[in-house]
Order: sequence, then C-alpha cells, then structure tokens
Amino acid sequence: MRHWKKLVWMVVAVIGALGLAMIATVRGEPLNAVWLIAAAGCIYALGYRFYSRFIAYRVLELNNRRATPAERFDDGRDFVPTNKWVVFGHHFAAIAGPGPLVGPILAAQFGYLPGTLWIVIGGVLGGAVQDFTTLFCSIRRDGKSLGQMAKDEISSLGGYTALFGVLFIMIILIAVVALVVVNALKNSPWGLFTIAMTIPIAFLMGIYLRWLRPGKVLETSIIGFVLVLAAVVAGRYVAESWLAPYFTYGGPTLAWMIIAYGFAASVLPVWLLLAPRDYLSTFVKLGVVMALALGIILVRPTMLLPPLTRFVDGTGPIFAGKIFPFCFITIACGAISGFHSLIASGTTPKLIMQEGHARMVGYGSMLLESFVAIMAMVAATVLEPGVYFAVNSPAGIVGALPAQAVQTISSWGFPVTESAMAELAQKVGEVTLFNRTGGAPSLAVGMAHIFSKVLGGSGLMAIWYHFAIMFEALFILTLLDAGTRVGRFMLQDLLGHFWKPLGRTSWYPSVTLTSAVIVAAWGYFLYQGVVDPLGGINSLWPLFGISNQLLATIALCVGTTILIKMRKARYAWVTLTPLGWLLSVTMTASYQKVFHPHPRIGFLAHARALSDQLAAGAVPPGDIGQVQRLIFNDRLDAVVTGIFALLVALILVESARQWWMYALGQKQPVLQEGPMVVSKWATEGEEAGG
Amino acid sequence: MAKARRVLWRIWEMVREVFGDKAYDRYAEHIRTHGGEPLTREEFYVSQLQRKYTRPSRCC
Repeated sequence: MRHWKKLVWMVVAVIGALGLAMIATVRGEPLNAVWLIAAAGCIYALGYRFYSRFIAYRVLELNNRRATPAERFDDGRDFVPTNKWVVFGHHFAAIAGPGPLVGPILAAQFGYLPGTLWIVIGGVLGGAVQDFTTLFCSIRRDGKSLGQMAKDEISSLGGYTALFGVLFIMIILIAVVALVVVNALKNSPWGLFTIAMTIPIAFLMGIYLRWLRPGKVLETSIIGFVLVLAAVVAGRYVAESWLAPYFTYGGPTLAWMIIAYGFAASVLPVWLLLAPRDYLSTFVKLGVVMALALGIILVRPTMLLPPLTRFVDGTGPIFAGKIFPFCFITIACGAISGFHSLIASGTTPKLIMQEGHARMVGYGSMLLESFVAIMAMVAATVLEPGVYFAVNSPAGIVGALPAQAVQTISSWGFPVTESAMAELAQKVGEVTLFNRTGGAPSLAVGMAHIFSKVLGGSGLMAIWYHFAIMFEALFILTLLDAGTRVGRFMLQDLLGHFWKPLGRTSWYPSVTLTSAVIVAAWGYFLYQGVVDPLGGINSLWPLFGISNQLLATIALCVGTTILIKMRKARYAWVTLTPLGWLLSVTMTASYQKVFHPHPRIGFLAHARALSDQLAAGAVPPGDIGQVQRLIFNDRLDAVVTGIFALLVALILVESARQWWMYALGQKQPVLQEGPMVVSKWATEGEEAGG
Repeated sequence: MAKARRVLWRIWEMVREVFGDKAYDRYAEHIRTHGGEPLTREEFYVSQLQRKYTRPSRCC
C-alpha cells in the first residue's frame, strides 16, 4: 500500500475506535447519534477493506479468469452477465426487508449499546461472511440453491433439513411481519386507508405494465409512487370525515383482512398485484433508506435512550429474557440473517459477471443492510425513553389504561405523562400511541421526528408518520405476497411427488388448495398473536429469530464443508466462528423459550401457569375457552421451537460427521465445482479482484 | 459539464437496469446474436415474472 493510503486507513481506524469508545463509555449525558453512525461506518469500511479482501484472496481465492455461470450459460433471461453495481442494487433490494428495521427497535429495550455492537460486529464477522461465502459457493456450482448444495455437499438428509427449514421459516416470518402490520394499523383509519389504496394502485400499475407499456418498470414505479403519496395525504381527510368508521378496525378484523389479502395475492396472476407492489416497494425502500441516512446526518439527533437499561436483567416489557441470548435472536436481520443465503444462492449468482464481483455484492450489500439496522436503532433512540416504552409495551404488561401505563413506566425510571403521549398522538394524527407493539409505530414516530426536522417542522409530522407507516407496511405486504406464493410453489412441488396433478402450478384446484394451506398456516400464528394479551410479539418474534438463525446455521455448515473440501481447513474458522456463536445463541434461546421456569419466557411455564389458574377456578367462566386456546398455543409454540432446535442439531451432526471423516482420512473430499472455463473478459495474470 | 452529464447518464442507465427496464433489450440482443424464436416484449415480461416469483425473491 502507498503511504498516504495507509494514513487514510489509520485515520478511519482511529475515528472508528474513538466512536466506539464514546458510545461505550459516555454515561449520564446524552450522546449525539453521529458518533454511532461514524463508528459503524468506519468499522464497515475497515471490515470491507481488510477482512473481505482476506476472504476473497486467501480463503476463497476468487478468480476473475474463471467464467461465471452468467457467462457460461448466458441465455438473456435467467443467466445474464450484469454490471456489478446493478447486481449490487438487485441484491440489496432483495435482501433488505422489514427485519433490520423492526429488530433493533425491539432490542432497544436493553439500551442502544448491546444491539449496536451486535449489529456492527455480527454484520462484519457473521452476516456478510455468510452472504459472501454462500454466493461464492453457488457461483462455483452453476448457481445452485442452498438446499441443493446442502444435499450435494453434506447429505440428502441435510438437503431435506434445508427444505423444511425454508418452508417453516417462511410461515413464521410471514405471521410475525403480518402481526407488525396489524398492530400498526389498529384503529388507525389514516394508516389503513393509505395501505388499502396501494392495492388499486398496484392493479393500475399492473395493467399499465402489462398492456400499455410492457416492461417499463421505472416510469410505472414513479407514477405509482406519486399516487401513493397522494393516498398518504388524502388519508388525513378520510380519517377526519364520515368515512373514518369504514377504515377503523381492531386487531382480529385486520388479521382476517390480511389473511384474505394473502390468499388473493397467491391465486391472482402475478403481474396484476404481486409484481407491481414489489416494484413500488423496492422504489420506496431504496428512496427511504437514502433519505433516512441523509436525515440523520443533517439533523444529527441526540440519543435520549441510555446505552444500557435496567432490562438487561431479563424483565423487559417488550420481550422477556436476558441480553444473552435474546438480544441476538431479536436482531437477526442486520447482523446475520439466514434468509439471505436463499437470495445469495438464487437469482444473484446467475447475474455475477466476474467472480471478483462477489465480494462487493455479497459482503458489501450485507454491510449496507447492517447500516440500515443502525439507522433504525438511531430512530428508536431519538424518542424519550418513557415514550418509547409507552408505545412498545403491551397492555398485558403495563396496563390497558393510559393512567396505569404511564404510572408503571414512570416507576421504572422512565418518566412519561398522559398529556405528553396525547400530544404526540395528536401530532402524528393517531387516536392513541399506547400499547402499539411490534416496532413499526415507534420507528415511524422516530422517522417522523427526524424527517420533520429537515422538512416541514412539526406541522408535517403527521404526514411523515403516515408516510413511514405506509413505507413499512408496503414492503411487509410485499414480503407476505411473495412468501405465500413461494410457499405455495414449494408445497406443490412436495405434494406433486405423491399425486402428480397437485404439482401442476397452473391447475386451479391445486393452486387454491395449496395457497389455502400456506395462508392457514401463517394465518393461525398471526391470529394467535393478535389475540395474545402479551401482544404476540413476545412469543412470535423469538420464534422468527430462531428460525432465521436455523437457516444461517445451514448456510454456514455448507460453507464450512466446502472450505474443507477446497483444502482450506486452516481457514475454516472464518465460517466456524459465526457458526459457533449462532449455535450457542440459538440453542440457548430455544431451550429457554421451551423450558424456562418464568412464564413470560418459557412457553411451557406459561401454559402451566394458565392451567393452574384454570384448576384453581380463578378464570371467569366466559374466558375459559380463550385460556384453553392460549394453553394450546403455548404448547404448539414449544413444539415448533423444539423442531427448529432439532433441525439445527441434525444439520450440524450431519456436517460434523463429514468433517470428521475428512479429518481422519476415511473419506476423500470431492470438490463438486463446475468446470474451469477461461472467461472471455479475463486479462493475463489476473487472479482476484473486485 | 459534459463529463458530469455523461456520469449522470451512466447512473440513470444503471438505475433503469436495476429496475429491469432494459431486460427485454438484453434478451432481444441475445436472441439476435444466438438465434432462436423471440418472444414479444409483452410475452417476455409476463414469463419473466412467472419465473421470478416462484423462488424466494424477497427477504425479511
């Protein structure tokens, strides 16, 4: 390296260290969020420059002379060699979803420090490594999927584990994000009107794209975006008019609406609803991420939340359990998200033009997603802590009445008043902000706070709030549509083995049946969450985190196995380190969620506490049915958690068996890569790049 | 000035490509050079969507 370059990197390291030191040590006085952003940014820069380079050159040995699947199978459709910035955009748009926005908001109950450290360190050493290695493995194997690689490289049992893991995670994931939307739209005519309008807007876009201007996605997205903005503004007038009651519903009704919507989206032609929504949400998502970064830099907000709160002891109101393991389960996306490995072994490897690009696309996109999680954390910390807890705590913990809630929360040392909450609710155009669990409303308040300081002042706060809610709901619903549809295809594929016609994806009886099964599966968990007095997030979000980490375990096991087969066992620690950490987190969390003696943490303890109440006759006769349902749901959740833990153990044992045999020399590692064909873009003497 | 315009144009082209506006042109080009029976713009658009949404395309 040149001297001045060394100097630049030293400055970056010093700023990063200084930022970290500030956020870790400052006590008593509020810190400016810029420190958080600076520290994170510097660590990402260092991680990218040095660690990803090490992985690219030493560990994986990316080779630009070797033709990628995109070049070898170029068909102008699936396999298309594409500019690396374009692939980066595609890949980032595909991996970035609601996860990194919601997780940090929930985990902020511990204070901003634990979540921030996990996002940054987990991102650099875990998530980005997983995405990068999975992408690389898929590129070297003609763009194969994770499930296929697990089958080929580990064993067919490993492959089936991956298949079931994907189906399970899809169902839990959809249920939990749908719950977030329901909680955000509860009794909010403005919010519901805006979201409802996105459906006819999507229809219009779909028709426009199909018949008027086929394939002109960008201009259609811009038209759609303008219409959605109009819907956000119009929502205020609807909420203040005689129409309001038609858009005001409680949780259970909204849950049924979303279930009906999910079914419709799965059976309707994809060009009509799913695809245009997806374009709209991608457009809004990329825009908002950039706007939020700009907003934070311009406003430089002060973080009012302390670095650590008393809830590190496990008694938190938003979700119960100690920092270890629950902080690392709650924040999955943003630090390490197993779901990414499906994208990294899906469309992306078929677009990569040169192997060297995998570094920026795989490692780089994940760092950007990690940065989005940091911004969400900042949005949580700009609220007064009392307000943050009042918005995010379920009625079952702090009390359903505002007076009870403010008293409970103030007694924890986070002062908040009824009048302050009422004023804030009025400012953002909502009836109430108490017990709005799920993270979305509090993120929207934080974002509205930041945006309104840049543009419009408190007069536009309500518009910004509903813009933020629309933004979150938009891509949650996109995920729900797309997930239900993929789940339907997977199920049809599976059932087709038993009876051929069920596997036909255009046979309407089969389409209807399998869609209904998938929707019923996530709909059940969603409904259970909506009627749960503890808010549902408390039980469903950890389940989602665990299932996501399960996929990450599979991806890292595949990565490690391939590293060993490449005779790179001495570098296996690159994937084994995050794997080891994930295993300890996932296993501890699964065990605690099932067997912990505290009813707020352990599913079985909660079921026991409820049945004791039933046995003692402490339940009013009218509520007996509901309590019995809660007991059943607790046991079901325990079983689901147990299955996840079992799948993790299974894939690990299967992989470890292979590693052991290679180590003892009982089995010769066979590397199953695609053939080495010299790329037409290769330049002489080039080994790696990007 | 001219250089700035060129850079902006490049960025705009890339944004269009990320959104998939140029997918058909690429496909048509591929058919032209490699041969085969081309789909119309509309057929291509719909069939690409069918393929795209049968596998995980969106993440959490």
